[in-house]
Amino acid sequence: MAHDWQPDFEQLVDEHQSMVFSLALRMTGDRGLAEEIAQDVFLEFDRRLGKMESADHARFWLRRVAMSRSVDALRRRQTRGTDRWVEMEDHHGIHAEERTSPLGARLEQLLATLPEPQRAALVLRYQEELTPEEIAAALEAPLATVKSHLQRGLKLLRAKAAIHLKEFVREKECVRGV
Amino acid sequence: MKNRFITFIFAAVALAMPALAQTAQLPVSSPIEKELAARASEATEITLDKKMLSLASRVMDGKDTYDDATRQLIENLDGIYIRNYEFDKEGLFTAEQVEQLRKNYETGEWSSLVRNRDRKTGESSDIMVKLVNGESHGLFILNVEPKEISMVLVLGPVQMSDLKKVKSIVKGTVKGRGGAEKSIPTKGKSRP
Amino acid sequence: MEFEPLDDFEEKLKRSFERWPAPPELKRRLMENRRRRKERPRWFALPREVLVAVSLSLGVGVFAALYSGIASYQHEQQREGEAARQQVLTALRITDHALDNINKQLAAHGRASQE
Repeated sequence: MAHDWQPDFEQLVDEHQSMVFSLALRMTGDRGLAEEIAQDVFLEFDRRLGKMESADHARFWLRRVAMSRSVDALRRRQTRGTDRWVEMEDHHGIHAEERTSPLGARLEQLLATLPEPQRAALVLRYQEELTPEEIAAALEAPLATVKSHLQRGLKLLRAKAAIHLKEFVREKECVRGV
Repeated sequence: MKNRFITFIFAAVALAMPALAQTAQLPVSSPIEKELAARASEATEITLDKKMLSLASRVMDGKDTYDDATRQLIENLDGIYIRNYEFDKEGLFTAEQVEQLRKNYETGEWSSLVRNRDRKTGESSDIMVKLVNGESHGLFILNVEPKEISMVLVLGPVQMSDLKKVKSIVKGTVKGRGGAEKSIPTKGKSRP
Repeated sequence: MEFEPLDDFEEKLKRSFERWPAPPELKRRLMENRRRRKERPRWFALPREVLVAVSLSLGVGVFAALYSGIASYQHEQQREGEAARQQVLTALRITDHALDNINKQLAAHGRASQE
């Protein structure tokens, strides 16, 4: 059945390039690699443009493939002898001086130290403001797993931030459900 | 006291002579390492084979003293294998798991230089050197603290002065690209 | 699904994790690639003269591709080398830290033996 939505590639690039690039950058921490991933994602998107049924479908597809390609790139990098958890002294991606907020820069650095599944969940939660169900769909992972990654990742990030930033003190003992 | 310890190690490693041209194999990540990584709040896993060390050496183009020193340190090595696990609290790993990490190096090829066990705290230290026909082919370091495990394996010829060079490179000041000075962050400052 | 309101830390995360702007060359390169791909005609529909011209220029194209491939390879090697360099520095840092800890353990052991 033909769909009414006529995708405009250029308009979709304008609308979503920031999302795709940011996802790749926050996952890999490498600006050059994030650009390559974004290029690949959009080139693939162009090949499949005729199969996109709606604006939502396009956005979902781009997000899912951007995450998938970023995770693949991270794992390839690990296999070749580099480690995604290590804080790099020369951070190739996110430069602190580009952010006006030193807090934001520090949180970016702390995010990069999280294990990949937790980082993926947190990026989709706080950058894209997705629900856990939407995150599970984007990552093609079980909902329970996503909730666990969100909870553990947030707890870890909060603990790291408390040590380093001394301004995030949780008043409540219990872990907030997500 | 620190100097005496380092001197002791140098003396032991002074058995090292230019190694035979053999390329040793780096280990593959074991199930124990995966278990530890899963429980750690922070895990650092570095595996650098000869090819990667060679790539790294090539970009250390001698524009600063410490790049030069680092290149000299690594250029003849066959590989570096690092596993470092930090835990939120004590009791997240067992003595049996540590023993599993250690047992691969309790073979006839490896000679123990340092062996320390504290049954009360669970802390332990091992430094072993791999000797083949009296020549050094590797160094293994395993340090266990209540909330941290550090494992370092260096394959290839390890010379007497190498361990001292590590400290001077890490503790010294490194000139970054473009001439700006910066320090390599020490563990206490940089690790969240 | 109804969300619980974010706490203060989560609000800060949300603000800090705003999307980064994509580099301008990303779209430029994409549109250029796309334009080239769409303008590429099917080879069997081309006039004979065009086919000949294309064949003659193929040699030049292959050379250019090889050159660009080599440049790209060198760039990739440089990038990988930098990443490996960072790994080496981190490895040294961890080694130094382990040796420091061992020193402390042995010093403590030495003190305990004397007591």
